[in-house]
Amino acid sequence: MSVKAFELVPAVERDLLMGDKARINIECIECCGKHLYVGTNDCFIHHFLMDEVTSSKGKLSYSAQKLLHKYLGLKKAVAELRAASALERLIVLCDGIVFLVDMVTLETVPSAAGGGAKIRGVTAFCINENPVNGDPFCVEIGVLSSKRRTVQIYMVYEDRVQLVKELTTPEQPCAVSVDGYFLCLALTTQYMILNYNTGASQDLFPYNSEERTPIVKRIGREEFLLAAPGGLGMFANAEGVSQRAPVNWSENVIGATVCFPYVVALDESFITIHSMLDQQLKQTLSFRDGHILQDFEGKVILASTKAVYVLVPLPLERQIQDLLASHRVEEALTLTEGAQRNIPKDKFQILHKRILQQAGFIQFGQLQFQDAKEHFRKGQLDVRELISLYPLLLPASSSFTRCHPPLHEFADLNHLAQGDQDKVLRCKKFLISYLGEARSTEVANGCREDVDTALLKLYAELDHESLLDLLASENACVLQDSVPWLEKYHKYFALGLLYHYNGQDSAALQLWIQVVDGSLQDSTRSDLYEYIVDFLCSCSSPDLVWKYAGWVLQKDPTKGIHIFTKRPVSKDHPELRPEDVIACLEKHSQALLLYLEHLVLEKKIEKEKLHTQLAVLYLERVVSLLSKSPPDEELLTRARDRLQALLRESNLYRAQYLLGKMEKYEQLLLERATLHGKLEEHDKALHILVHKLRDFSSAEAFCLWASSSRDSEYKQHLFHLLLGVYLDRNPSGKSQATVKSGSVDLEMAAVDLLNRHGEVFDAVRVLRMLPDDWSMQLLRPFLGRALRASMHASRTSRITLGLAHSENLQLLHDRLKERKKPIFVSAKKGCHLCHNTFSEPDVVCLPGGVPVHSHCVAQRVRDSPTKRQLTNSSNHT
Amino acid sequence: MPEVSKMKKPDVKVVLLGDMNVGKTSLLHRYTERKFRDTISTVGGAFFLKQWGPYNISIWDTAGREQFHGLGSMYCRGAAAVILTYDVTNWQSLAELEERFLSLTDTANHDCIYAVVGNKADLIDPKAQMFQDSGGEPEDRTELEKDRTEPQVLSSCPTPPASPASPSGMILHKPVTHEDAVALYGRILRYKGLEEKSSLPAEKMCFETSAKTGYNVDTLFETLFDLVLPSILRKRNENQASPTVDLEECRGKRARTSCC
Repeated sequence: MSVKAFELVPAVERDLLMGDKARINIECIECCGKHLYVGTNDCFIHHFLMDEVTSSKGKLSYSAQKLLHKYLGLKKAVAELRAASALERLIVLCDGIVFLVDMVTLETVPSAAGGGAKIRGVTAFCINENPVNGDPFCVEIGVLSSKRRTVQIYMVYEDRVQLVKELTTPEQPCAVSVDGYFLCLALTTQYMILNYNTGASQDLFPYNSEERTPIVKRIGREEFLLAAPGGLGMFANAEGVSQRAPVNWSENVIGATVCFPYVVALDESFITIHSMLDQQLKQTLSFRDGHILQDFEGKVILASTKAVYVLVPLPLERQIQDLLASHRVEEALTLTEGAQRNIPKDKFQILHKRILQQAGFIQFGQLQFQDAKEHFRKGQLDVRELISLYPLLLPASSSFTRCHPPLHEFADLNHLAQGDQDKVLRCKKFLISYLGEARSTEVANGCREDVDTALLKLYAELDHESLLDLLASENACVLQDSVPWLEKYHKYFALGLLYHYNGQDSAALQLWIQVVDGSLQDSTRSDLYEYIVDFLCSCSSPDLVWKYAGWVLQKDPTKGIHIFTKRPVSKDHPELRPEDVIACLEKHSQALLLYLEHLVLEKKIEKEKLHTQLAVLYLERVVSLLSKSPPDEELLTRARDRLQALLRESNLYRAQYLLGKMEKYEQLLLERATLHGKLEEHDKALHILVHKLRDFSSAEAFCLWASSSRDSEYKQHLFHLLLGVYLDRNPSGKSQATVKSGSVDLEMAAVDLLNRHGEVFDAVRVLRMLPDDWSMQLLRPFLGRALRASMHASRTSRITLGLAHSENLQLLHDRLKERKKPIFVSAKKGCHLCHNTFSEPDVVCLPGGVPVHSHCVAQRVRDSPTKRQLTNSSNHT
Repeated sequence: MPEVSKMKKPDVKVVLLGDMNVGKTSLLHRYTERKFRDTISTVGGAFFLKQWGPYNISIWDTAGREQFHGLGSMYCRGAAAVILTYDVTNWQSLAELEERFLSLTDTANHDCIYAVVGNKADLIDPKAQMFQDSGGEPEDRTELEKDRTEPQVLSSCPTPPASPASPSGMILHKPVTHEDAVALYGRILRYKGLEEKSSLPAEKMCFETSAKTGYNVDTLFETLFDLVLPSILRKRNENQASPTVDLEECRGKRARTSCC
């Protein structure tokens, strides 16, 4: 496989150069800008002006105009020509002599005074293109002398040459190239590097220069291209190391040069072009009688013995496109990347991206997805280029148009796959993974809608589980475009999610309800009904909740009621007024019950209406269960337990109203007793419990319950009441017979009550109430307890009294201590009022703690009514 | 295979040496591409750049043919590791290492490490034959089996070398034992004037590999890469100590002083 990297363009035709003189051959050439110099075997130098002409088709050609020709007068072939343009000199090697010729007139430059302009005995020379010496007006040349085993360095000036260095070599050198201080020499049996500054040498590799002409070509900074045994082109740097792999030439290479990234070599009948990047032969051009191959400032010029040609590199881009056209992706990329340093940075980046993208598409076409993805990524491919390959994936609203010129040759996926469904599927799977990754990167910026919509369509089509994830998370799927697609693949649940994401909750719900009701088929979620409930539960629009509440409740009241009861409380979720909810639930009694339970039992809302309504509902349920025959005992018990619990716990319901409702039902005595208790009608309650139900433990429990939040006096009252009921020998409305049989039970209950709760009763009252014929033995526990309680109370109160007394004393003591100063009264001290001494301890203190006789004060009070106030107060102290 | 990394400058060089047909290119190919395929006789040489952690290691695959022998010392110049490869079924290929290739390593770094590698181990060692390389694709393998018939014929009746007969004038084809390789390693150390005690032990540096099955191939290269790391670091340090002024660094320093 080959690349067309170069084109051979004639520059100077045979008749322009030598006409019909058959003997004349080209020996050497030099090109300097537009100036082409040709040296011939008959000692002439021809000077041409070479113009580049680009045809309208972009084809390059050269037109050469002969300016001058000059006979050098040595009758020998001109062996070498080198231009030193800064000096306006040509350095000529002819007949073993190096001398200077004016570039314009081609006149030989005469020797300047004091220095020669000629070097004699020269076999070959080369110009140092990278001289260490910075003088722009001299040229450094390396010269091989016919003198044995030496190499010389000369400086060439405008009119003189100067020897600066001479080194001996281990063998006779036959070719030379120089860069900086480094001479690269072909010796008789090997190549070597010689540093002319330090004299250090480095052997490269053996080579028989007698068998084959050696080639020593400087190709860059301290790097040389050498002809090696076996027809290799070897690279070597000044350190004697090969940094590039060799290229494989034919055995008879005459000349070689580098035109990056290619190595161009000439043999007798071909020009071969190898890539330096992968060492492969890229192009072969037939070239008969090849003689010279040289590069001049990047321009590669060849000469046969009779004519001159230019080897014009084709634009890199075209070479790359040729490679891509033949699907040689790696080579194209290598070439692109290899050319990086020859192209301006911004231009390179554009080119490189494009090539990467193209390469990606080629690999994509070959289903090499891993490589394709890598190239798309590196080439920052607009993902829509890829999406657009898949029919119908881009939303209709997308503004995307494919890049021009096209990045690939495919019309669409069907064209690519040629009907192979497996291929299509693999491509689709690749796109899924590619878009999935692209979504999260900046690649998708600016075309999120296109990417997400395409992804949605692929997911739907391939029944991919990520469809729901896509829709549930942030996405930019275009609704309009996605709806028909999702419908087509029966992805109604997903479509609902999309509606929801686009704020069309109502549409979503309608769709889902249809699925639940079975008019649409989508098995994505088996628990779609629960999902709808959850959805409504967290739905921020009350209207929607009202709208679909009926459907939800009808479907399943127990779960459906969650839309009201499990509604989260937050700012986004406007609270629904319980009244409205209840009104809405009117038709759904079971749901209503659940809702009221939620309000009353869970949320503890204290509203009479709710409590009453709940109690009524409980009651209705109990009643409805009762009316069945036979009633389901278990259900009934449970229903009654609930009712009873509510009646007991709540204080808000309208007991009278409920009582009225219960009147008819004889079975609900316990409930009625509770209600009576609520109404403080304890006698009625107890009557029911004791006489109708004859449930003594309930009666006792009732007393405890009814007095639970009251003081002990109330409790005592209740227990006495109960005791009274037990002991009432003649309850109204009962025949004597039943009384007789019941009274024993009641008496026993009374005894039990007394014995169990003895401490609650007022024993004296009890004793008065008890029938006289009861034995002491019967009441022993009660009496013992009552006695103990009485004794305990007495002792406790005495202790309390004592404690209070001591506390009082303590306080008195504290008060005295607080008065600090004692008042001294003695027989020697006189009363301030009468000035007599004190004869007894009773004194009165005036303000300031002055003791006086009590009778003096009395006297004084009597005398001065104005001071009554003062004396009064002091009297108190 | 050619990647951008090719443009990067290698930090260190590893060279594969050995007689023609021992499988140098196949070894490198197995390591880099994880496949075994037919290779044609290497012309001149080729190299592969391996990213090893933060370092670039260039692996040079040389031509085994006599014709290119002269280039060997150039390839070896500055090498940090040399892989001397022989064919375990061909005793002569081991002998060639000593006779022809050892002298090429004179240009390698003074601290260069040497590995003696017997390739085609699958032909004598069932362990190597049964080895399954994780990278090898199954469809490739069936092809391999077919391909392999040829080398098997080769091992019993090898192709005559392109060069005139080997220096000894006779070609030996008896299999090579591990002991032979260890002995050669000892002689290499002696040739290099290295103390056996202070050098890497022969057990560590003598490998038997199979480019066909991938047996020991990763081990070989990765062992070597780990061993040349000190050489890379030393080279980097040398560069750091160079008198070249780093403008970036200078700028940083000046900025710091000026703000004080």
